[in-house]
Amino acid sequence: MTEQQGSQLLSGLLQALKEERHLSVLHIGPVQPETVAFFSAFPCRLYFNDLFAELPLSRSDDEDNSLQQRVRELLWYADDVRFDICLFWDIFNYLDEAAVTAVMDVLRPRMVPGGRAHCFSVHNTRSEQRDRKYAIVAEDELRLRPRERRLEGYRPHPQGRLKQLLQGLEVERSVLLADSRLELLLRAPGGPRPGGPRKGG
Amino acid sequence: MFERNKNKQSAPPAQPESARSAPSTTATANPAPGASNNTTKPRSTAMIGPSIEIKGTVTGDEDLVIQGKVEGTVDLGAHEVTVGESGKVNADITARTVRIDGEVSGDIRGIEKVLISKSGNVRGNITAPRMTLEDGAIFKGAIDMDPGEPAAKVSLASKAADSKSEAPELDLKSG
Repeated sequence: MTEQQGSQLLSGLLQALKEERHLSVLHIGPVQPETVAFFSAFPCRLYFNDLFAELPLSRSDDEDNSLQQRVRELLWYADDVRFDICLFWDIFNYLDEAAVTAVMDVLRPRMVPGGRAHCFSVHNTRSEQRDRKYAIVAEDELRLRPRERRLEGYRPHPQGRLKQLLQGLEVERSVLLADSRLELLLRAPGGPRPGGPRKGG
Repeated sequence: MFERNKNKQSAPPAQPESARSAPSTTATANPAPGASNNTTKPRSTAMIGPSIEIKGTVTGDEDLVIQGKVEGTVDLGAHEVTVGESGKVNADITARTVRIDGEVSGDIRGIEKVLISKSGNVRGNITAPRMTLEDGAIFKGAIDMDPGEPAAKVSLASKAADSKSEAPELDLKSG
């Protein structure tokens, strides 16, 4: 059964769409009809790369380099591809620390300065596993579908630790949700800051 | 890599849904089901059957249903290409309308529309003015979105309100 979930932070994520320039949007998750439909009204290029289909993604003791290599292969893009918006949603709750680091190592240099990202974390690491597929239906609303199978590798990180692991993205805003979950709006360094001082003003 | 699709060709009469699953195992051209009532020009549909394997360039002047394997290029710019559930295509596809029920590895250019059904599995990039995707479809790659029409450049607020009631090109057929 699908659920609707409101969001206070999506509007901040989607600010760049109002600029009417051609954007690149990366969704690290399964393609969903609503997400395609939502972005179809804006000039953009939508990249879908479902890391959930590759779970478990974790480092085994004897294969330190294989995880990084695998993540590099899974997240391969042409050299000139840069992302204005990244939709991570709850992928980090299913990756161990090495895998989160590997993902960020690949994506950090690909973020546009000032680019935004959105994800869900937990306030309490004992938060119940809720395997869902996320889709955006509006500036302030997501649609969640249950997954057919239970996902492997659920291991949510403490909020402070996740913040450390997301090198290259700073937490701009966070909102506490029900069930000890957190919604995070992330921002890449550089670019104009929202609400920052304006020249000559 | 892609040329943005600016072509706005006039559309021939739409083919009924029933014509998309024409069962046949031959590679010959047959009148498309549902086209017999068309008083203007009967449309024909060619079929690449499940046991057929083609390597090279596929071009033509009729609609095509692929239930077999194709490797190379498929170019039917003015027609409809359907990759059936048993179809496996390792090729770039260009057509007026492209419907994917099977597997495609390659770039897809739909002059009017691309549809990936819930059984579709696509790895590649898609360029089309209209894109429909059913829940359950598997897709890895990029989709070029270009609303083109000034009316599509609505504010986020009104877009949000609209999307609650009517999602453009949205097929919610849960898989």
